[in-house]
Amino acid sequence: MVLAQILLNGVLLGGLYGLMALGMALVWGVLNIVNLSHGALIMLGGYVTYYLFTLAGIDPFVALPIAMVIMFCFGFALQWGVLNLIVRSKMLNTLLITFGLQVVLTFTAQLLFTADFRTINPTYAGNNFPVGGLTVSVVRLAAFLVAIALASILWFVLNRLPLGRAIRATAQNLTAARLYGVNPRVLYAVTFGIGTALAGAAGGLYGMISNLTPYIGASLTAKSFVIAIIGGLSNPFYVIFGGIFVGIAESLTALYIGPTYTDVISFGLLVVVLVVRPSRAVRAA
Amino acid sequence: MKRFILPAAIVIAVFMAFIPGFASDTMIQFWINALLLATLAQAWNILGGFGGYVSFGNSVFYGLGTYGTGIAMATYHLPFGVGLAIGVVLAVIGAAVVGLPILRLRGPYFAIATLGLNGAMLAIFSNLSIANKNIGLVLPLTRNDTMFYELSLGLLVLCTATVWWVSRSRYGMGLIAIREDEDAAGTMGVNATLYKVTALILASVFTAVAGGIHAYWFTFVDPASAFDSTLNVRMVIMCVFGGPGTVFGPVVGSFVLSAVYEILAAQISTAAALLFGLVIVLAVIFMPRGLADVVGRGRALSWRYFVRNITENRL
Repeated sequence: MVLAQILLNGVLLGGLYGLMALGMALVWGVLNIVNLSHGALIMLGGYVTYYLFTLAGIDPFVALPIAMVIMFCFGFALQWGVLNLIVRSKMLNTLLITFGLQVVLTFTAQLLFTADFRTINPTYAGNNFPVGGLTVSVVRLAAFLVAIALASILWFVLNRLPLGRAIRATAQNLTAARLYGVNPRVLYAVTFGIGTALAGAAGGLYGMISNLTPYIGASLTAKSFVIAIIGGLSNPFYVIFGGIFVGIAESLTALYIGPTYTDVISFGLLVVVLVVRPSRAVRAA
Repeated sequence: MKRFILPAAIVIAVFMAFIPGFASDTMIQFWINALLLATLAQAWNILGGFGGYVSFGNSVFYGLGTYGTGIAMATYHLPFGVGLAIGVVLAVIGAAVVGLPILRLRGPYFAIATLGLNGAMLAIFSNLSIANKNIGLVLPLTRNDTMFYELSLGLLVLCTATVWWVSRSRYGMGLIAIREDEDAAGTMGVNATLYKVTALILASVFTAVAGGIHAYWFTFVDPASAFDSTLNVRMVIMCVFGGPGTVFGPVVGSFVLSAVYEILAAQISTAAALLFGLVIVLAVIFMPRGLADVVGRGRALSWRYFVRNITENRL
């Protein structure tokens, strides 16, 4: 019974992990930028949702789409104004600049929001209900469902809409996409904006489940990174599955080996995946 | 211009050896930190700058050097030199064990695989009773900043001399060939795996000694400070800021960034880290090939150089 409960928790948490990695996988696959500031953007989305909830009194699940719109605009501006300037540079330089952005975002957040722990705490935060002897937390289940819904929307946009076709074409061949009338500057900014909006949604949900501080960015980047590799960059649902896989692995590790080893296990999995099947992480979107 | 670099560097190094004679205590402490960081950046440069393999696992060697020295001195009361040697041996073994499987991975995948090493070592050493678990070790106190300063300076000179040798040797050419095109290098008879693993081992030696010196100077070792992943990020940034794959770029880059950070921290303590991040962002936009490339242009440098960097790399 304990094992079943642990597995359930792992799956629900894993859905959120998958959502965290979704934006990173999209940006990586299309723009070829490994965005080290992704975790900081998740953190920022968490704070936007937090302030929409505490200052404006909007229910966090209603605030989520508003936070996503705000984060989209922020991501669009960031790509348009800063990252587009260096996007053809070496990979090392894109790593470096996004790391710099992560530092800037983290310490701006520290100045604006202080280093206090914050939690998005609606009245139903502690509610749960029993299903066949297991306890299901309402917020965690909702977070899981939101993650699945957003992955489905992203899949639909990428595979069924003209915008998605333009994004996929750019990922495959920038020059050819340009010849067919895609404006890469706008498209890159839109793609980065979508990635940032997804990060924002993940941040809002993270704030309901865990604590927000300005410093959570780096570890969330690392986690998103692992999941993006395990899930691959080609299909939003694979990324969610990657998240669930890591969520289960972490929960089992915490149960059987000890909670200090949870970070080790996800990276252990990553190394195994990389060494055994390096082609798993092929670049496509 | 190029002819004067080596003599100038030697003169500066000799001058720096006399700094403890007249500088204040805080100044010497700043320099010990700056010299050790420069050593880390320079060691990272061997595989990262010349070989083109970005490692986020070098801080592991630093931690092994720290703990080798810490365990030897605090637990077994051995002299400092023996501790350093143990740290180096640990780091070399670590580099070989880790390098052989992971260096088969190419490009970004290698970088990603090394990301996890630090966390793994942190967890292992937090549970190791010989290392006093996560409480840490207290080393015997020696108040002699001048000695630590000269040791750090000597280590940096040695490391830079090694990189200078690498930059002119057949071995270094092989590493550069691997960076430019690994398959072509293999066709030309470069044993890529051997070159990469030896580069990692070479880097691990200097990194471990730097860790050992810092441990004895700081007289305290614990898992969080020994296996600090931000340390690894700092060495990459300093190397790339200065100019990866050059002999003096990483040293100058670390000195400049250490000084910038120190001044910012003294003037506006709250926003120092924020401005440090901004410096990195602006540096990548305006001088993507590092400080060495900017300085190397000498008088030919004008504002057009910075504009050209943007037009070359923007979408």
